[in-house]
Amino acid sequence: MSAPVLLQVVRLGRTYTEGERTRAVLHDIAFEVHAGECVALLGRSGSGKSTLLNLIAGIDRPDAGDVTIAQTRLTRLSERERTLFRRRHIGFVYQSYNLIPTLSVEENLLLPLELNGWEPEKARAAAQQLLSEVGLAERGASFPDRLSGGEQQRVAIARALVHEPALVLADEPTGTLDAETGRNVLEVFNRLLRARGKTLLVVTHSKEVTRFADRVLTLEDGHLLAQTAEVVW
Amino acid sequence: MVSRLVGTATARHFARHPWQFFLTVIGVALGVAVVVSVDVANDAAARAFAVSSETVTGRATHQIIGGPGGLDERLYVRLRTQLGVRMAAPVIEGYARLDGETLHLLGVDPLAEAGLRSHLAGLKPATTSRLLTEPATVALADVTATRLGLVSGSRIALHLGPRTPQVSLVAVIPTNEQNRARLDGLLFADIATAQELLGMAERLSWIDLALPDGPGGARVLARIRAALPATVEIVPAAARSEALAQMTRAFRINLTAMSLLALLVGMFLIYNTMTFAVLQRRRLLGLLRALGVTRRELFALVLREGLLVGALGTAFGLLAGIALGHGLIQLVARTINDHYFVVSVATLTVAASPLVKGAALGILASLAAVIVPAREAAVTPPRLTLTRSVLEAQARAATPRLAAAGVLLLAVALIVLWTSPRGLVTAFVALFFALIGMTLTAPLLVRLATRGSSAIIGMRLGPTARLALRGIDASLSRTGVAIAALMLAIATTIGVGVMIASFRASVANWLDTTLRADLYVATPSLRSTRNPAHLDPDFVSRVPALSGIRHVSSARTVVIESRTGLNDVMALDIPRWFARRFTLLQGKPTEALDAFFEGRGVLVTEPYAYRRRVGVGDSIELRTDRGRVQLAVAGVFRDYATEQGQVVMIRSLYDRLFDDPHVSTLGIWLDDNADPQAVIRALRAQVPSGTEVLIRSNREIRELSLAIFDRTFTITSVLRLLAVVAAVIGILSAFMALSLERAHELAVLRAVGFTPGQIRALVLNQTGAMGLLAGLLATPHPRHQSPRVRVEHGRAASGTGLCRGARAGAGSSTAGRRLSGDTHEPGAPGRKSARGVALSARVRNRHFPASRPSP
Repeated sequence: MSAPVLLQVVRLGRTYTEGERTRAVLHDIAFEVHAGECVALLGRSGSGKSTLLNLIAGIDRPDAGDVTIAQTRLTRLSERERTLFRRRHIGFVYQSYNLIPTLSVEENLLLPLELNGWEPEKARAAAQQLLSEVGLAERGASFPDRLSGGEQQRVAIARALVHEPALVLADEPTGTLDAETGRNVLEVFNRLLRARGKTLLVVTHSKEVTRFADRVLTLEDGHLLAQTAEVVW
Repeated sequence: MVSRLVGTATARHFARHPWQFFLTVIGVALGVAVVVSVDVANDAAARAFAVSSETVTGRATHQIIGGPGGLDERLYVRLRTQLGVRMAAPVIEGYARLDGETLHLLGVDPLAEAGLRSHLAGLKPATTSRLLTEPATVALADVTATRLGLVSGSRIALHLGPRTPQVSLVAVIPTNEQNRARLDGLLFADIATAQELLGMAERLSWIDLALPDGPGGARVLARIRAALPATVEIVPAAARSEALAQMTRAFRINLTAMSLLALLVGMFLIYNTMTFAVLQRRRLLGLLRALGVTRRELFALVLREGLLVGALGTAFGLLAGIALGHGLIQLVARTINDHYFVVSVATLTVAASPLVKGAALGILASLAAVIVPAREAAVTPPRLTLTRSVLEAQARAATPRLAAAGVLLLAVALIVLWTSPRGLVTAFVALFFALIGMTLTAPLLVRLATRGSSAIIGMRLGPTARLALRGIDASLSRTGVAIAALMLAIATTIGVGVMIASFRASVANWLDTTLRADLYVATPSLRSTRNPAHLDPDFVSRVPALSGIRHVSSARTVVIESRTGLNDVMALDIPRWFARRFTLLQGKPTEALDAFFEGRGVLVTEPYAYRRRVGVGDSIELRTDRGRVQLAVAGVFRDYATEQGQVVMIRSLYDRLFDDPHVSTLGIWLDDNADPQAVIRALRAQVPSGTEVLIRSNREIRELSLAIFDRTFTITSVLRLLAVVAAVIGILSAFMALSLERAHELAVLRAVGFTPGQIRALVLNQTGAMGLLAGLLATPHPRHQSPRVRVEHGRAASGTGLCRGARAGAGSSTAGRRLSGDTHEPGAPGRKSARGVALSARVRNRHFPASRPSP
């Protein structure tokens, strides 16, 4: 692939202490993701997928190894710097949507823009544009609890993309949706990503999701097993 | 800078739960209102006294004062004629009642006033001349006259102690904005009229001097001092006012401490609510952190919320405080009048300082209370996988550390009390440390209690009870805070309640012990201890001969002023066998009483010994009509009659030292077969016409004393009630928050088969168990709740700590000496008497001091 490397994970390790027991969740994980690439990280529950995502997002800190995004080494940043980096360069899509219940749909989209200091007018236009693209232009004033699961996830996708992040991280984006709705959501997600040339790392245990990926990584018991280079869709 | 939308996201949490927000704001408002109202009332009373004092003092720099009977008026003549002191003015001071209002009667020489006071300057010469030349004429400020419905020429019946003389209002003094407040409530008369009205023929209360600053003034002062007889003294005018103002210090500190206690409860309430608000929004905060909101921004966000709640609560609290202050001022003024001196607060002017202080306290307390929740919010991990069990594990892990900090604070409280046993302020500081220490230890004690009881009780009561008890431990991050808040509220209620009940029981017991005469006769007085009035000498001489009377004792109470302050002196005319009612705390009974009856020494009350730091073997100096004399302290005895304390001497000694033949009160013992009503009728028949005496049975005095006691503590009870209301609001708020948070858990229980009845039982069991735990933590000793209030203050727990601190704050003679060790019970009033006790009993002394040592 000719595109530059956007995400570089080097010999990443993470252990947790529970009482007197120490449990290694990730062992020596290393891989790269190029700009504009869509990579699926496949694994069963408890394989360490979410932990890896938290480390890449700078939410958690590794015990060993390094994470570099757009040539910024997250492990060298302070907690505040990692937060500000995440705010500017990373978009998140969660399994359970995680929309802010006390903000309207439009406000949920405006929040990352406001945090990043966008002009209100420009921010509103961007939010409206994305809402239209996910088919929810009329629901801007609604609160999340008035939307269906699929609609909420489409809002979450729009929120993850609205501030033009370099990297989008998704954690089981269709985990709580039925097959049909999930497929629709993935199609919207994929369309938006491809149209904007965004980089996606999605963790999933669903084969359905991997169909949309350029590449699939498999994680098992904290070890990266194999990398599939083929485009499966 | 917090993002607008982040603020909106968190603020809408409150919008969705308006009752929680409302309760928090009201909680802060109550805390602030109590502080402001007490300050407003205290401030108004203090300013009323200061204004009154300044008005009376005028430009005087010094005052010449005499003995109990005042000064010989010839001294004033000598000053002006022989010593050539022109800037001098005689004053006669007294109090009169008119239409339910107390007027400050000032007898002055209008011609000598110009250099010292300008109160009568607005009068026309003809009017001034009438005051000087016509007998029984008085002048009032226009504001007072209007309020009382009087005009120039009105005839007034003044109530002056035992007499009700008629006077004419010949002058209404015009006032302006500058002097209206000063002149309101003053009743002016010429010296001769005042002497006649107050029964002080040829006497003066004092002489004011306006001496120049610098060496010139010092020379004049030295010349006057050299010419004065040893029986009189020159004191700086300001020092004299200060001595009076100092008398109320303990009372005012007590009120302030009570209001601060309410604020402490209010602070806890804010902390409680803000903690819950943070805990409830933990997921939201975590999400915001994941989206890129920094720790500092979240900290600022929660701090801002606390500030908003604090500002709103403070604003409401200031308004409520002013309104409440209007009510409290009358209680404060009444208590001051009952126990210290006459102060009249006709109008309540709210100064800026109580409002500024209240606002600052409200805002700062709110901010202090949200620091911990704000920090909690800031450290919220930016991940959404953190489970509730992890949170609770963290909370449980923190309990030993919190308990250790609590024990440390309790130890600090003890050290503070031990190192500064007499300090009123330090006693309250220690009390607050103890309270906070107890609240910090509460979560660990809750854990231990629930673990133990769920194993024992849960097995017997079934799964609902077990679940309820385990739920308290499982949700310790929430339940610990709620239980600690409830414990504080219960400790406040019980502590103050026990304190008052204990004082009351001590007073009642003391009254039972000391009120032994059948009847008591006294002059009516506006003041409690400093009653200058006396019974008619002819009446006094006729009483022993009346039919049905077995024995008569008498007492004379006077105040001796000196450079060191005011000394309450009581002279008793009693036989030796009466004296066994003295409960001596220092001195051997036989030796002390021998010295007392032979006039070789005096007895002092426990408060006097405490305040003046004197004991048996020491001597006290009194300025008498024979000059300064040193009197040996023969004994210290228990007495609750005056907070300032009293020097008690045998009448024969008093007669040797003072030229004052008068008697203030009589104690009368009846023959066994005498009819009390017939004796009262006979006594009344002997009362000279135009005079008034009070004749009361010992039971009436007992009831009156206890009524005064209850009146004195009305304000304390009001403050306690407000503190409790604030705490109850906090508890309500906490339980509402808990219920909200548990909604999901309860729904799950319903889903797995719990019936609505079982859910209700679960919630009730848990709430009841939390209440029980809080109650047990607040009252570690069961005897606290005994109906007879036999209280052992031997437990250094919050309830008792509060009680002791408040006792100390009330000016106990051993103010908060330690957190444990003394006994205070009706059968044997504590070694450490309290101001509350002293105050309440004063009414007995006020009218009937002769009753003290009675068989």
